[in-house]
Amino acid sequence: MNSDQAFLEIRQASKSFGVAKVLDGVDLAVAKGEFVSLLGPSGCGKTTLLRIVAGLLSADRGHVMLDGADISARPPHHRDVGVVFQSYALFPHLTVAENVAFGLHAKGASTSSIQPTVAKFLDLVHMAAFADRSVKALSGGQQQRVAVARALAVGPKLLLLDEPFSALDRKLRETMQIELKRLLRELGTTAVFVTHDQDEALIMSDRIAVMNAGLIEQLDTPDAIYRRPATAFALEFVGLSTRLKGKVLAAEGDGGLVIETAFGIIRANGHYLPGSAVLVGVRPERMAFGVREGANTVHASVRDIVFQGSRIQAHVVSADDEPFLIETGGELPAGLAPGQHVPVSWAMSDTLVYPAGATP
Amino acid sequence: MTGIERITSALVWAMAALAIVFLLTPLVVTVAVSFGSSAVFTLPPPGWSLRWYERVWTTRGLWASLMTSVQIAGLATAISLVLGTLCAIALVRGRFAGRDAIATFLVSPLMVPGLVVGIAMLQGFKLVGLREAWPSLLVAHVVITMPYVVRTVLASLSLFDFTLIDAARTLGCSYGQALRKVMAPALAPAFLTSGMFAFLASMDNYPVSIFFTDAWTKTLPLQMLQLVEERPDPTIAAVSTGLIVLAIVVLIIGDRLVGLRRLADF
Amino acid sequence: MTGLRLDRMIWLALPAVAYLVIVYALPLLWLLGRSVTGPDGFTLAQFTDFFADPFSWRVMGNTLRIAFWVTLVALVIGYPVAIAMARARGLMQVLLLVAMILPLSIGVVVKAFAWQIVLRRDGVISQGLVASGIWSEPQRLLFTEAGLILGATNVFLPFMILPIYSVVKLIDPRLTEAGATLGASPLYRFRKILLPLTLPGIVSGSAFVFSMSVSMFVIPSLLIGDRFQTLATLTGRSYLLMRNEALGSTTAVILLVIAVSIVVVSTWLSKRIGRSL
Repeated sequence: MNSDQAFLEIRQASKSFGVAKVLDGVDLAVAKGEFVSLLGPSGCGKTTLLRIVAGLLSADRGHVMLDGADISARPPHHRDVGVVFQSYALFPHLTVAENVAFGLHAKGASTSSIQPTVAKFLDLVHMAAFADRSVKALSGGQQQRVAVARALAVGPKLLLLDEPFSALDRKLRETMQIELKRLLRELGTTAVFVTHDQDEALIMSDRIAVMNAGLIEQLDTPDAIYRRPATAFALEFVGLSTRLKGKVLAAEGDGGLVIETAFGIIRANGHYLPGSAVLVGVRPERMAFGVREGANTVHASVRDIVFQGSRIQAHVVSADDEPFLIETGGELPAGLAPGQHVPVSWAMSDTLVYPAGATP
Repeated sequence: MTGIERITSALVWAMAALAIVFLLTPLVVTVAVSFGSSAVFTLPPPGWSLRWYERVWTTRGLWASLMTSVQIAGLATAISLVLGTLCAIALVRGRFAGRDAIATFLVSPLMVPGLVVGIAMLQGFKLVGLREAWPSLLVAHVVITMPYVVRTVLASLSLFDFTLIDAARTLGCSYGQALRKVMAPALAPAFLTSGMFAFLASMDNYPVSIFFTDAWTKTLPLQMLQLVEERPDPTIAAVSTGLIVLAIVVLIIGDRLVGLRRLADF
Repeated sequence: MTGLRLDRMIWLALPAVAYLVIVYALPLLWLLGRSVTGPDGFTLAQFTDFFADPFSWRVMGNTLRIAFWVTLVALVIGYPVAIAMARARGLMQVLLLVAMILPLSIGVVVKAFAWQIVLRRDGVISQGLVASGIWSEPQRLLFTEAGLILGATNVFLPFMILPIYSVVKLIDPRLTEAGATLGASPLYRFRKILLPLTLPGIVSGSAFVFSMSVSMFVIPSLLIGDRFQTLATLTGRSYLLMRNEALGSTTAVILLVIAVSIVVVSTWLSKRIGRSL
């Protein structure tokens, strides 16, 4: 996406706290109406980046552009950027309706227009019945919905959400994820969503920015990130994977590689010099039991079989005890049990290769 | 931050700094005057001298009143600690009615003007025939110190997790041992800090003590006030400095035990 | 809990309660009782006589006026300082805490005496104001109402700051951030978020300071002298100097009624605020 199309653009955002460099020149462009997640472990800088966009924190360097204007110097109340906080931050001395109306009152909207707006947004989050209740009596999920309604009621250009569902239980979280997505699509609101939960990011996002140590390692659709993680970190952080250390034995002219690993010879596509140390990665569900024509095959012994409802995982090890994870949605070969030897194969095109130095 | 926010922030911090100076002024002035050579309280003093500290020993009645104050404060605090702690235990662990009312009642002397309490007790004591100053002082000062003990010990006990005693008992302690090994250490800081502040409150008390005095019995504040009225000179500042040092020691001990932040909990 | 255990607990509470009832509550009730008892039974004659005297009204006026001003000044100074204290870290926080607590551990006689020195014509305030050009010549603040208000504010300021501080500490800093992201200006955030949430502390602190100002005795004795009478100084003098116990007990009861009223009003206010919170 080039600068013309970007609705939100972050340019070279950097922030240090003392000697700790939390953001190291981050660039991000988000299109209008898009839902982008910032995904990463704690400490990667995602919340810091969010707060800089909101204006709650000023960057040491870098700019934030929103809808064509440079808002980097503006205080948060002049930015038209809404925030849903992790702890909801509902005003305890106001009712649900008063909370939602807060921003409207603050901006000086006429009383006659506030009432219907509040009612509309409470309806959208299914909290209309609670309008006059105190916020302290609400459950976590209910508070979350009021927080979303409150942020959206003022019609912000951009909505930022800081791990809003982290305190909710799994079922509630899934419901809220779907509801929020639907609501934002209905309103056409652009959103940036911070989370450390990769499932959440994969489900909700149009695109995901995988962050690590103050940098965005990959910015792409969920599908692309899952199938073609750009870095070893992205591979490890998003989804399960099997990772093997290897050394490049030969590099063929067309991009083919021959790699030596603890499980034997693996073939992959990539551009590395012979002798380079690499990390080989494979998604567990791309593997199957048995030998396949033209595919990478390894021989391993089964250590453990884990039944996970819709999937079965098999933990196998090489002759040198290197672990290997296989996942299949189908059935296991008959009689497969711990201790047995079994061949495992996967396509060469499903083999991912990364420089070994970047091992997380 | 907008310009307004920056200015407001700067103003607030400036006020905080001024407030620190304002609050510490009487202490600084007192210490400065006590080391000054002039008998008139000029600041800055023309010279430095320790003679006012020497005068503390020689001024009639000062030492005696200090002793009286310390004895009364010590005994009253001790009595309050015993009675107050027992009561706090009952209030936290008991199930009888009116516990909140009793707690409020025990802390209420802090809210009633000391002068009124003093007058009421003076008339009450006279009615039952208690006329000697020293016993009257002691009886009155228990009332003064009790709220400090009850308030702090009660707050500390309410936070104490009594299941810890159960845990200790399942690990082999008897009930008494569990109390000693688990509850006493947890309670010790509250005990000590409330005792220290109760002691100080008693040492500094004027409005109640003024009614229970005779030619031989005077508490330190009374003696000091009398000196201020009769013969004001920096000797009083020297005594005051001693009290300030005492307060600083108490504060340091209190900080080591529970931390300054907790001491500030109202 | 068995019945036996229940009884045992009450016994623990009994000594302290009994002590205070006998030594403190009963004498107070006795004092109250006597103030409304005349030769023919219940009478408010002592009070009507007291309020018939214009001097009494001057005394009441002095008392309430000084208390009002001390409370107001303490609030204006104390509120921002309490907020600063809640936000302070490191050295500043330690300094503030020490500045609050250390003076509390020192008697009022020491502090009042120190203020006597400070308020003199050649005292530090006078010198400072002359040096900065605000005053053309040294003046004494001693024996003036302004000096009394200043000294009393100094002594009672921690009692205004600490309750507000303890309330501010509990406020989630995300709340003002949320207000900002919703478009509220700094002033609006203060009016609609910080102020309402700190109100319980303001009520509590103001009640403390007002109550203490009404009943202060040593501070006015030393800082303003005998020609300016407050309820408390009048009470003290009645008993100690004038040997007029009747007047003393009347004014004492009025002081008590005022003190109790402050507690009742502030509790009621706190409950009302608490309900809307």
